[in-house]
Amino acid sequence: MSQVPDPVLAAHGLRKRFKGVQAVDGIDLVMRPGERVGLLGPNGAGKTTTLLMLLGVITPDAGTVTVVGHHLPEGRSRAMADVGFAAGYLPLTERLRVREFLRMYGQIYGIADPDALIEAGLERFRILGLADRLGTELSSGQRTLVGIVKATLHRPRLLVLDEPTNALDPDVAGRVRSGLLELCRDEGIALLVTSHNMVEVERVCERVVFVSKGRVVADGRPGDVASQFDRADLEGVFLHLAEEHR
Amino acid sequence: MTAASAPGTAGASALAARRHSSWLCIKAIARRHWYVLRRSPHRLFDVTIWPLVDVLLFGSIATFFASSAGGPAGQRGFGYLLAGIVLWHVVYQSQISLSTGFLEEAWTRNLLNLMVTPMREWEYVAGVVLLGMAKLVMGVGLVALVAVIAFAFDITTLGVSLVPIAAVLLLTGWVIALFVIGLVLRFGAGAEALAWGILFVALPLSGVFYPVEALPAVFRPIAVALPTTHAFAAGRSVLDGSGLDWSSLALAGVTSVALTAAGVGWVVAMLRMFRRRGYVTRYS
Repeated sequence: MSQVPDPVLAAHGLRKRFKGVQAVDGIDLVMRPGERVGLLGPNGAGKTTTLLMLLGVITPDAGTVTVVGHHLPEGRSRAMADVGFAAGYLPLTERLRVREFLRMYGQIYGIADPDALIEAGLERFRILGLADRLGTELSSGQRTLVGIVKATLHRPRLLVLDEPTNALDPDVAGRVRSGLLELCRDEGIALLVTSHNMVEVERVCERVVFVSKGRVVADGRPGDVASQFDRADLEGVFLHLAEEHR
Repeated sequence: MTAASAPGTAGASALAARRHSSWLCIKAIARRHWYVLRRSPHRLFDVTIWPLVDVLLFGSIATFFASSAGGPAGQRGFGYLLAGIVLWHVVYQSQISLSTGFLEEAWTRNLLNLMVTPMREWEYVAGVVLLGMAKLVMGVGLVALVAVIAFAFDITTLGVSLVPIAAVLLLTGWVIALFVIGLVLRFGAGAEALAWGILFVALPLSGVFYPVEALPAVFRPIAVALPTTHAFAAGRSVLDGSGLDWSSLALAGVTSVALTAAGVGWVVAMLRMFRRRGYVTRYS
């Protein structure tokens, strides 16, 4: 009998209310090792709040979160050792060169000498030439790529990306996509990604979870979810939910 | 995986040896703030220009006071003012380096990046404090040196008494910084003015240049509750030739412990509120 591997992420009954608004209303999410999941929904649906609760940055009003076997919040430090996070909207740490920035995070993740991993990470996303540039000298797309290298330097078991392809041109977005797929395939990393680019999500994720008004309204393979809403693709589902959300 | 992007033997062994290390976190944060200091010359103001301005200002007042008053009273005032400003810079440098170190993360929207790492809060604080110690040596060293060169006042005449007095002042500076960090967590970077402003409140209340009896009666109870007041009193007793006032030092120790407990409790409570109310989104 084959054993089901322990989940890398298990969240149950997550709820969060901000100033009278129920941002998240009972979300459950379980992810297996190596699984690539898209967390989707219109603006204000509760995606980022959910992500931040999964990462232990926001404390839920109710519900439980277990990341790589560690319960949050008490096991936050041990859990985060196996998690990588990058967001398209976050800047790089200022006044640091790319190599210095990556070295800093490598050491925070417990890698005493991360230089070889930094070279390999930059090479993977074809940005080795940026290694000695200051973060402020990079374009937003280049910063996103460096952010992803940072998030994957320590080979996390769970990689969480919030809007990673925001403001990326198709070439860079393609590099991000192929780099991520390669990493997930080779290292067995589970990927949780939010994005408004449904085409991107269909190419990267094998499972999508749609959130609307703080609740999970669909969870399954992209094609199945589109069929569930009687739409041709995820874009159709997204537009339908966005209409409902207004 | 392409051959070029494979981590190689060195990378594989670095990964295999990976384990959480507080020292690595502390070193990484200290180095990050060293780069900030090195690449932003205006940040050197706190450890060069302001110490210089302070020692020139208070040294000149002290000299004028000594020559006007004359005699032992004048000399006493001279010593109080110069010892006061040199020792005050221990509080100033330790407080400012920790407060502005944290504010740097708020200003550059780096908080979320740090909060999703395995680094613990105390490791972060220790990293900022580590570089802060280097800044403190620069700032206090400059004040002490200029006091010797320009005003012939040598703070080391306090001898070994300097060690416990400076330790209390150092700790007080860090604790005041924890209060500032708590306020920034609660109210956002708008509370940054307190990083500098809070010291202007603490300065007159701490009896830096005068005994607490010189304060208006209404403020004395506040002054007595501050460890700095007793540390400066202990320093003055050495300057007066009465040796180290152990009772003042003991009071400084007791009030330091109480203030530290309050500061740590405050910042922990504010961090909990920060997580509960989702204030991190202010910085993302």
